[in-house]
Amino acid sequence: MREHLARTLAAMSDADVDVLLLGRSPNVRYVSGANQLALAGTRPFAPACVVVLGTGAVHLLATTDDGVPPDIPNDHLFPTSWNPATIVGHVASVPGVTGARRIGVDGMTPLMDGLLRGALGGAEWVDGESLLRGVRRVKSEADLVGLRAALAVAHDALGAVRDALRPGAAEVTLKAAFERRMAERGVTTPSVEGQFNSVFPGDGALAKGELVPVRAGVVADGWEGTVATTFVCADPPRERTARLDDVLARCRAGATVGDLRNAADGVTVDGVGLGHEELADGDVLEPAMTLTIERSAADVLSGVTVVVTADGYEPL
Amino acid sequence: MKFAGELDLGRMHRERRARLVDAMRAQGVDALLLLGQQNVAYATGVKVPAAEQGRALHRRPVALLTADGEEPCVWTWEPGGVPATLARSRVNGGVDLEWDDGAGSVAGELPEGVVAVDELTMPLAAAARAAGRVLADAGGVLTAAKVCKTADEIECLRRAQAINEAAMVDVQAMLAPGVRATDLTAVFYERIFELGISSNTVDPIWQVMPRSIADGPYSATGDVVFPTPTTPRVLERGDVVFVDTGIAYEGYQSDFGHTWVVGEEPDARRRDQAARWRALVSAVVERIKPGATARDLTRVAEEVEGGRRRPWLAHLYLAHGTGTDSAEMPFVGTDLGDAFDAGLVLEAGMVLVLEPVIWDDGHGGFRAEEIVAVTEGGAEILTRLDWTGYA
Repeated sequence: MREHLARTLAAMSDADVDVLLLGRSPNVRYVSGANQLALAGTRPFAPACVVVLGTGAVHLLATTDDGVPPDIPNDHLFPTSWNPATIVGHVASVPGVTGARRIGVDGMTPLMDGLLRGALGGAEWVDGESLLRGVRRVKSEADLVGLRAALAVAHDALGAVRDALRPGAAEVTLKAAFERRMAERGVTTPSVEGQFNSVFPGDGALAKGELVPVRAGVVADGWEGTVATTFVCADPPRERTARLDDVLARCRAGATVGDLRNAADGVTVDGVGLGHEELADGDVLEPAMTLTIERSAADVLSGVTVVVTADGYEPL
Repeated sequence: MKFAGELDLGRMHRERRARLVDAMRAQGVDALLLLGQQNVAYATGVKVPAAEQGRALHRRPVALLTADGEEPCVWTWEPGGVPATLARSRVNGGVDLEWDDGAGSVAGELPEGVVAVDELTMPLAAAARAAGRVLADAGGVLTAAKVCKTADEIECLRRAQAINEAAMVDVQAMLAPGVRATDLTAVFYERIFELGISSNTVDPIWQVMPRSIADGPYSATGDVVFPTPTTPRVLERGDVVFVDTGIAYEGYQSDFGHTWVVGEEPDARRRDQAARWRALVSAVVERIKPGATARDLTRVAEEVEGGRRRPWLAHLYLAHGTGTDSAEMPFVGTDLGDAFDAGLVLEAGMVLVLEPVIWDDGHGGFRAEEIVAVTEGGAEILTRLDWTGYA
């Protein structure tokens, strides 16, 4: 994870940001490498990780070093508190924070805004989320190993869905099969509670011949592997695919995300790494960016995860 | 699963919204902008699939309520998650508040007057500033509305807990030496989804506890380290496992806590600790009624354990609320201190998850969780913990 921190510090230097206060778990994981308890959904902002450009140090909100990389010493951990003022006090005591001119944050609440401005005086506050968004896009070889491992678990769990699918099976049975196999592979965090025919799976029986789109994924060691395909409900089920070749033909460094999204009907293109990465139509693809490309056409959903190369892409 | 209690989701949605509007009027708030997934669900009933935080943030629903009681305005990426009780004309497509254009479109909808918001993205903060708006914190309004539950909300909590407990029967049945902690998660997931749960909200915890705090891992507080993320660790005979899981039924969060011993019956020490935990919880429940303060509860807990260490984790609490958030107000015994607890007065409809920890350093400890609803006459216990082996 030292490489992630180095990239982050370089981006801070380029953007003239002295300090980052991060609260979002994927950002915290990226810069610190810490594996902390996973909670689904959005959480209100509170600073959980402090990065100081001047010292290169990372300080972390944690009551233990369990899951914290050894390069973050124990005296860089600050315990959690139910009093926001106490947390702000810990943050302000990190060397280099008081007196910082520009501070990046990846979220805010009005309450925290007041406390931070009170404690850190004249600092200018800038968007740390957009800074991290740029930093996290380009992957290292080690990152790609993590993504491939997550996708392997997701594909295996998708196999369990195929095994469970037969006429009369319930959508929730497919979901149960996916999540069970994922955890049997040692991974206990889904990337999204996925689509198993329905986005909110029910207990109705699937009919013979019905098209069953499945979109589900895992987060393994932080890395997301999400798969999307469509089965024809039968015993055994068959797989149907939507054509992605028009999209993939445009996938190379220098193309824009919009070029891919507009290549065919029903296309979605997102970045993927330590979870979902948001991309805008105007963003230009660079080598080592990683994308999930999906297409839903005529009730058939297909998806693929690729790494962008100078002259094309490689499937992960 | 079949449930005996009555549940009317339409009524629940109406009553929740009315409570928010009452709280807004009482606190002089003209409009309430909500970005937090659980807050949007509370205010509007809008559901989205549970997701890792990156996706959840970029695909979050947003709601705007006004104190005049008009239908809320909603932006969501998941039309299938909009309840029938919400006026379709007020439902918009999804908006991403991490970008200037999405933030600008929401900021443009903010009415005149005092607007409170639960959280901000930096683009939204900038867009609100550009529109000349000062946004107040929505914490006060949200807490006032959410801290006491309606009958339907408590029924959702009962059902979430009943399903969680039913799944645990199958999980505990496979607890044995050689099983990996993540194998327990596998069975848990399979069962909760089969039983009709829509989302798991916290990575299920099966933490093998040390005998002494000094055995590690490092503790920044000097107190017992808990919880830590689950790994594929192989369980061994005699391991003492602190269990903690949470699932959502119609958005309401169960909280299952217990202590399991792997491959053998709990020994005398473990049975003694469980008995002390039960005596402590009984004494606290005895004090729970409208008008009692949180400090009354912490004091009785301290007395029962005879003034040794406070019998709960220093970085957590003796009790927390549960509802659409897995840990929400009221908090009892936090580092906010005794004065805070003394000012927190229990009311009917509050729900407390009691989670004291009996810890004898050198000999490990016992932890479980009891969920208690404050009623007009006292307390109703929502949990049905299995004490087999501890009797």
